[in-house]
Amino acid sequence: MRISKSLYLLFITIILAVYYLVCGIYLNGLGNYNQESLFYIEKTKIVFEGVGNRLKVMGLTSPIIPFYATFAFNLISVTLAPVLASALGTAVLFYIIASTVVKRLVDDFYMWILLALFLFHPGIIYTACSGKGIYLILIFFFLFFLNLFKFYRSNTTFHISIASLCLVILIFCDYRFVWLTLFFLPLVLAITIHSLNLGEQESVFRLFMSFNSPSLRRKLVNKTFSLYIILFALPLVAVLCYKLLNLTHASDLNYFNESPYATWNVLVDKLSFDALSTNTNYKIPEVSLLISARVLLFCPMIIIAVFLYRESTYQMLTILTPFALIEFLHIKYDKVFVPYQYYLMFVILAYLCVILKSHTVRKPGSLKIALVICVVIQIYFGGYYLYSSSITEEQNFVNVLFRRTEDETEEDNINVAQYLSSLPGDSKVLVDDATSYPIVAFVHDIKPLIMPYEDAFLSALESPDKYVDYILVATSRNAVTGYTQLNNKYLPLMKKTNSQIDFRKVFETRDWVVYRIVPR
Amino acid sequence: MRKSIPEILVEDGFITKGDRDEIEQQSAKTGISFIKIALSFGYISRKNYERSLINVGYNYAPIREEEFDPEVLSKIDIHFAHDRVAMPLRIQDGKVITIMANPDDELFVDFIRFTYDLEPEIIIASDLDIIWLSHKLLGEKEIKSAVFELLKRDPDSSAIVTFTTPQLVFIFVLLAIVTIGLVVSFKNTSITINVLISSFFLVAIIFKLFLALVGSRFELHQAVTREELKLVDDNELPIYTILLPVYKEDKLIKKLIWNLQAIDYPKHQLDIKLLIEEDDDKTLNAVRNLDFPAVFDVIVVPFHMPKTKPKACNYGLHFSRGKYLTIYDAEDIPDTDQLKKVVTLFGKLPEEYVCVQSALNYFNRNENFLTRMFTLEYSYWFDYMLPGLDTLDIPIPLGGTSNHFKLAELVDLGAWDPFNVTEDADLGVRAYAKNHKIAIINSTTYEEANNEPFNWIRQRSRWIKGYMQSYLVHMRNPVALWKRIGWKGFLGFSFFIGATPVTFLVYPLLLAIFICYVVFDLSTIRSLFPDWVLFMSIFNLMVGNILMIYVNMMAVFKRRYYELILFAIANPIYWLMHSISAYKGLYQLIVKPFYWEKTNHGLSKVNNPTNIVK
Repeated sequence: MRISKSLYLLFITIILAVYYLVCGIYLNGLGNYNQESLFYIEKTKIVFEGVGNRLKVMGLTSPIIPFYATFAFNLISVTLAPVLASALGTAVLFYIIASTVVKRLVDDFYMWILLALFLFHPGIIYTACSGKGIYLILIFFFLFFLNLFKFYRSNTTFHISIASLCLVILIFCDYRFVWLTLFFLPLVLAITIHSLNLGEQESVFRLFMSFNSPSLRRKLVNKTFSLYIILFALPLVAVLCYKLLNLTHASDLNYFNESPYATWNVLVDKLSFDALSTNTNYKIPEVSLLISARVLLFCPMIIIAVFLYRESTYQMLTILTPFALIEFLHIKYDKVFVPYQYYLMFVILAYLCVILKSHTVRKPGSLKIALVICVVIQIYFGGYYLYSSSITEEQNFVNVLFRRTEDETEEDNINVAQYLSSLPGDSKVLVDDATSYPIVAFVHDIKPLIMPYEDAFLSALESPDKYVDYILVATSRNAVTGYTQLNNKYLPLMKKTNSQIDFRKVFETRDWVVYRIVPR
Repeated sequence: MRKSIPEILVEDGFITKGDRDEIEQQSAKTGISFIKIALSFGYISRKNYERSLINVGYNYAPIREEEFDPEVLSKIDIHFAHDRVAMPLRIQDGKVITIMANPDDELFVDFIRFTYDLEPEIIIASDLDIIWLSHKLLGEKEIKSAVFELLKRDPDSSAIVTFTTPQLVFIFVLLAIVTIGLVVSFKNTSITINVLISSFFLVAIIFKLFLALVGSRFELHQAVTREELKLVDDNELPIYTILLPVYKEDKLIKKLIWNLQAIDYPKHQLDIKLLIEEDDDKTLNAVRNLDFPAVFDVIVVPFHMPKTKPKACNYGLHFSRGKYLTIYDAEDIPDTDQLKKVVTLFGKLPEEYVCVQSALNYFNRNENFLTRMFTLEYSYWFDYMLPGLDTLDIPIPLGGTSNHFKLAELVDLGAWDPFNVTEDADLGVRAYAKNHKIAIINSTTYEEANNEPFNWIRQRSRWIKGYMQSYLVHMRNPVALWKRIGWKGFLGFSFFIGATPVTFLVYPLLLAIFICYVVFDLSTIRSLFPDWVLFMSIFNLMVGNILMIYVNMMAVFKRRYYELILFAIANPIYWLMHSISAYKGLYQLIVKPFYWEKTNHGLSKVNNPTNIVK
């Protein structure tokens, strides 16, 4: 029975993977891209086709795991690799969750619920078809919490260690999850207090008793500390080592997180900030306290999860931890909108809690009705949140998905890339991929491009006439013009320092201009 | 009419009448002399026995230098002499000069009369001296068997040859290829070596982490539960042999007796053998001078090279009576219910299980840095790694002590290899190769952690040398090994036994290159290795170290040694000590492969708990 169920599951997963692949490739064909996947495509091209010092690109591109995950699909198509990875990855996410359901519950209802979410939830489709690394975040977020809940029940080192390993990967999928460790401090204390062998049952009194007895206090401190270490030593040390690698190879501890050459977030956050600060209509939903309320609306199933765990203090705290995280992120990164994946993780968490605890419900019928209602609401608000998102590319995605019209966002970049590809074979072009990675991603051959990862870049920047034939310059209308030296201020400066050269405009779009260097 | 020795002992108040009856019953049942049982099963101390003899006019004679006639000796068997604590030496003046610990032993006197057709002339001597002399003079066949039995029966499994010719050819060809490679293309060869070594390092550590995780999954599993233990009927327990190989452990004899007395097992079903080397008068005298009854039977191992623990154990096997057998070190404190648990587990397991390994841990863990690290290491090894190997059905390298065997199967396997300095690990693999299985039990033996660095290095160098020896022995024919133990066993064996010394040997090299690269920023290293190689190597080294630290951290949880968790961070330093030991072990493997680096015990100032009852 179990074998046939597993096969059945595998079969559904394969169908789901095909469904995601078809959607993803179709949307890709309509020209739907996003900054993250373009960034991966560009960096992958450097790693596999570039010349010169590629170590920094290889090791310090962040987030590193979604970046590496696309490598496997490069053989099929460099441009499609992120989409292929996310489509298959989301199918894997389904398989992981579904196999957990199969192991725990005999009732197929929960599988149907899951299938409905994975087939129709616009957020899940966005995860699968966008080429972003959200699928990895969700996979390891799920595994992290699954193992934590298993640890609460089994109290074995195995589950806490696996949870820790999952957290490491989660952090390397999205660095902001490092803050999750902060909110586990009180939680770990709660777990330890619970595990002490005391007659008193009430947590507060247990804490009181533990603090007032020297031996219990020592035990409490040692165990809390050990649990904290075993759970967070790996993530924190891994981050520290990664930062040290950044320091030794890029002379900056936070290079991976703050340099536009290392991560796509820098520019996207900047754009997000611009949108926030220049927008005349203040975005009410992004007011701090409303974030949690938005989450509840986005994922009402989490209320059922909290209800199911109402009698377990630390399990309840565990569910509330992501709320604290999302509120914290909103305060810490107050200049940017909260991306979609931070809402989506609640869908996964809520479902996990439901499958772990549903067998304890006395009236499963009522629970099932509530779940169906929740799923319908979640699917509706999943689409609505994307549609009304303050992040342009999320809006773009849902527009293309529902209207199936061509997405023209990247058209300019594609045109510039086509022009650069059409240049004579031996022409060299000076390009700063901090801002122009969407163009480089579409260029057929990146060898003629001189980019910052190459040693020659700085020399070429100083005396372009000696190294390159063309320069790609950001226009003043380009939103990220301040993030590159190759902008409209560069040319007058060059002309001033070197009177022997002149620049002739050969190709122009709204954001970019290609200049040919000509001797005066 | 002269009183018998048992009567005298009762009269002197050293034993009760009840004791006497018990001893006589046992004697009749086992064929072992009255006095041997009295002295070896905790009824009377040797000093009191001597007092009683003196009271009735007997005095111990020094017998070690007595002349003997091989012709006379050829008519007596060592086992009979050992059990009766008596032996004939020569014929003089028409009488058989016979040494005896108990002049009342009519059975032995009759044996002399019937065998030699002469009357005996009895010399009273200390039982220990008689045992010493009897084993020295009569134990030749047994000691030869202890040394050469495995070699005769299964020469391919014996470590008497360290490197076989094909292995030497392989090693030298490999060295030649590397040298030629370095001469022809220094850069490419260095890159290849670097990538191979650093990847191997990482894979070996990831494998350990994987094993630890698999093992940790079952940390709450109880092989034998308390309820099962309660059902054990003492009257149905089989005879259990405990071998205690000691060498110059005079300081630990008293502790040893206390620990043995704490074992919860019927006294007469225990067959405890203290194996003392012929030249170890220190320990023998410590036993002689005990002022309370001993609970073990002393066996003197005649001199024969190699002077190793497995040889002593093999010799002890010839005198073992048990259905099951285990080995403890002198300082070991087993859980009191360990033997009963093992019997219960053997009863539950299928026939192919021939050995049960208990966990080892340390009673002096908080003594100093070294003991803390050692505790961390043993905790993850026995609590996580071995259960991990067990779960994955990979050969388990047995620990040095507290491994419990079915005696008949152990003998069938050829027992321990006296030429291998980690005979336990070797035996584990050998058992596995012959389709036997090893189980892990939820019982712990507490040992004394080495608290002195040089002593630690000596001990560790022997272990690592033994791992190298075992790997070389079993890899004489890798294809045959693969066929015998399957791919899982083969890979497990290679990564667990083979990779361990290699990782220790390469670790300081990798660390040195890394430090040179990071701290001194040596340009040569950068020009020699391309970026991807450096990236990979740094990744491997860092991740490898972090994971190893993490595996050590996991160790504290099962035992609740939370206070040790931060010490896991010092693992890279601890590994450097392993590396020193590994190089010492490698050197010894080449120049003196059978040399047994003796570990000094009894250095701990921590008082061990007298009895650990779970």
